[in-house]
Amino acid sequence: MAGNQNPISAIDMLTSALRSNIIPNQEYLLQGSVIDSSAEVLHNRLRGLCDAAETGPETFHDHEMCFSLKASSPGGTPQQQQSFLLRVRRALDHPEYPWQLRYLGQPELGEKNQPTVLRSCIDIACTPNVVEFLSELGCRIEFEYVLKGYLFRKGRMKVTMSKIFRMGQAKSPDSLEAMTGSYLVELSLLAPSGQDAVADEIKVFAEQLRPLVHLEKIDYRRLQSYS
Amino acid sequence: MEDFFTNNSVCVSVEAPAENLVQEIAYDGQEVFQLPLTLSENLTKQAHKIDWIKREDDDNDDDTHSATVTTEKKVEEDSKKADFQTSSWPWDSVRNKLRSALTEVCVLADVLVIAKDKRYMVLDPVQQEQPDQRQLAQLFSKKRGLTAAANILLHGAERLKISQSDTARAKSNQDFHLELLRLRQSWTLKKIGNSILGDLSYKSAGSRFYQTGIFEVTKSEDPDQELSLETTSENQSKQSMIKVTIPPELGGTAYIQVTIQKDQDILCTTNVNLLHTSLIHSDPSRDANPWTSKLEAAQNVLFCKELFSQLAREAVQLQAAIPHMVVGNQITASLFPGIQLSIHFQSSYSAGVDKRQLVSNNSTSLVAKVDHNYILEHSLHQLLRQVHLNNVGQPVPHPSSAPLGPTKRRRLAGPHAYDRDELLLMTKNESILEQIIRQGQHVVLRLRTMFVIDSIAREIRDPLIISHWNVLNSPTLSCVKIIIMTHGYDTLQRTALVVHVGEKTLKCVCRDGRVLQMSYEPQELRDLILCQISQHQINAVQSLARFLGWHVASSSAHLGLGPVEPLGNASSCILSSPSGNRILSVRCGPQAAQPQVYLSTYPRHDTEKNKVLTDIRWEQLNTRYEEVRLEKIEGRNFLSRMELLMASLTCRLPMNWE
Repeated sequence: MAGNQNPISAIDMLTSALRSNIIPNQEYLLQGSVIDSSAEVLHNRLRGLCDAAETGPETFHDHEMCFSLKASSPGGTPQQQQSFLLRVRRALDHPEYPWQLRYLGQPELGEKNQPTVLRSCIDIACTPNVVEFLSELGCRIEFEYVLKGYLFRKGRMKVTMSKIFRMGQAKSPDSLEAMTGSYLVELSLLAPSGQDAVADEIKVFAEQLRPLVHLEKIDYRRLQSYS
Repeated sequence: MEDFFTNNSVCVSVEAPAENLVQEIAYDGQEVFQLPLTLSENLTKQAHKIDWIKREDDDNDDDTHSATVTTEKKVEEDSKKADFQTSSWPWDSVRNKLRSALTEVCVLADVLVIAKDKRYMVLDPVQQEQPDQRQLAQLFSKKRGLTAAANILLHGAERLKISQSDTARAKSNQDFHLELLRLRQSWTLKKIGNSILGDLSYKSAGSRFYQTGIFEVTKSEDPDQELSLETTSENQSKQSMIKVTIPPELGGTAYIQVTIQKDQDILCTTNVNLLHTSLIHSDPSRDANPWTSKLEAAQNVLFCKELFSQLAREAVQLQAAIPHMVVGNQITASLFPGIQLSIHFQSSYSAGVDKRQLVSNNSTSLVAKVDHNYILEHSLHQLLRQVHLNNVGQPVPHPSSAPLGPTKRRRLAGPHAYDRDELLLMTKNESILEQIIRQGQHVVLRLRTMFVIDSIAREIRDPLIISHWNVLNSPTLSCVKIIIMTHGYDTLQRTALVVHVGEKTLKCVCRDGRVLQMSYEPQELRDLILCQISQHQINAVQSLARFLGWHVASSSAHLGLGPVEPLGNASSCILSSPSGNRILSVRCGPQAAQPQVYLSTYPRHDTEKNKVLTDIRWEQLNTRYEEVRLEKIEGRNFLSRMELLMASLTCRLPMNWE
């Protein structure tokens, strides 16, 4: 009996936690890019601004796979099919860390005066067989890439400065091929929903990086329509 | 003149006005008049009033001048009359004047005539007043110029004076900025409005203490005092231009005193204070910048306050078997029964007293009074700083998309399906107080162990007991190696045992591989060492016997015979000489001071030869054991005596045996 009660209480706890808005599931995001030649300047600026300056920046080397799950309603036309993206990311330089499964909601640009993009975000740590699991569920890999760069922390904010590499066919680290000649800079903060004040905090920090990199709200749909 | 007089027959009466001048008005309104002048007086007065130089027109046609002319004529008539009346001499000057006036009038009339005709001469208006005006203007302008010049000079002098005083001020200003720069290198400064504020709290290092450590930096405004200071003492380094104002609650000095006491006896005292005497006196930069010591003292106060409040909070929260007490500025926790750890927050706010002196006095007196234990002091620092570090140094997520905050173990909890116990274990966080209690317990236990070993080594000279304490140890674990050996026979036999001193227990690893766990009671260790000594003696005797060619007939570490030992067992061995006719029995108990040795020989000397049993083998029966009085034998220690004994007993067989 006790075994039956436990899962129920766990779900209850989870729902009550969700209801009371203590789970950080909203991501406030600003993005920008900086060209390789100027990357060092930005790097130094970030080192100066962010926490733990004495230990130096943390590097990361991640591999991300994006799975899509086509959820088609029985009577729906192909246009109504919604693709549902799930991202699996692993740290290539720290194999002992768990993999991360990530769901990202549609980014909300909001009004013009809203300082950041807001998107719902759910992160779950998982074991490496998540790939197998997702494949069994019917997901298929849409794309994959490798990110390599630096991670900074400023309070609750996370700043990444990374270079995107195309995943070679051989899937060996040597076959990395840079996608662009610039670095992707992301400034993000995870917070429970309803804490819009943090967006201003992000904006202020972005202003401090202003001459070096323009961190803005990027509208993906518009980018897609351009391409 | 006669003609002139007769032709113009207009009579002009010359007389004073009827009314005389009022001399004074009396109080009753009566006017007192001046006495009228006499005729001659009047005439003289009038005549003297006339300016004879004044122009007189000859012409009658000019009407405008007729009035004046008539008056002049009247005057002339008067003069004539006066001439007639008085002698000519008093009127001589009048006459002369009249004459000259007449000459002038004639000249004027001629000039006028010429000018009027405009045939020979034209009269142009000549600006007669102009040079006069120019002079005035010049005077004014000169005056103005002079005042301007004077102003410039005065201004210049003023500026010189100011600049002279300014050079001193500018120098000081420069010093101020230089010092500010130096201050900025080691302290956080911020400019808010017109004031410069600094922060001496440990917030940037991860402290979450509520109290702020904001101080204000101002320019010190006492140049006179500075000057006097400089002049009075050459030795005194230059006065700082920076004045640092710290909040009053951070003033003075503070330190945390940790005392371990058994009832009333203080076992160990530590005195946590960032400002050590050595630091104060050795650091040259401290002397160069007076604010450094002030700020560091304030920071120290803040640190001690944070430490104490953290400890007090934990003491209240912790559920200990014997509850911790927080009374005022003191926390008391019990380490072992009867032994308490008390942490005392000492704070002295001294307004007028030189703080540095106070600190040094305090610390030197404390150092002199008790043995300074740096370990606990250092630990308290380290523990709080570790808390700070944990606050700051959050683990970095990998992969980079993972959320900030959780530790690596928490990240692994999900995928590895940790159960409740493991999760609970993860949340368990040992508080500073618990850690310091553990360290305090270790300190007590280590002191006790040292005391036990040292006292045994002092009591028992034979065998020697040597202890080696490891220099490197952790705050809660140290290790001692005890070697038991006999002087001169150290290669023969060494008994070594290792004691790990933990927090509440001792772990002893003996030479034979046995591991013994002991409690904190010192008696247990003492008993163990005594047992080890007795066994060492027996083992050493056996080795010696083998070395000398004797046989070890039997040996037992736990002898069941003889008087019962209060603790442990006696050990013994039986040795036989190479020829076999001497048997030695050695017994050593833990409580005995010296081993007992018994000797048995054959053939028996005491009895007659047996008549019945003639066979020689019956002679090999040993006699009764007799105790050897070892203290009568030469030798420094037990083993050397035994060596001597065995050597003396190793003699040839009795003749009858052969």
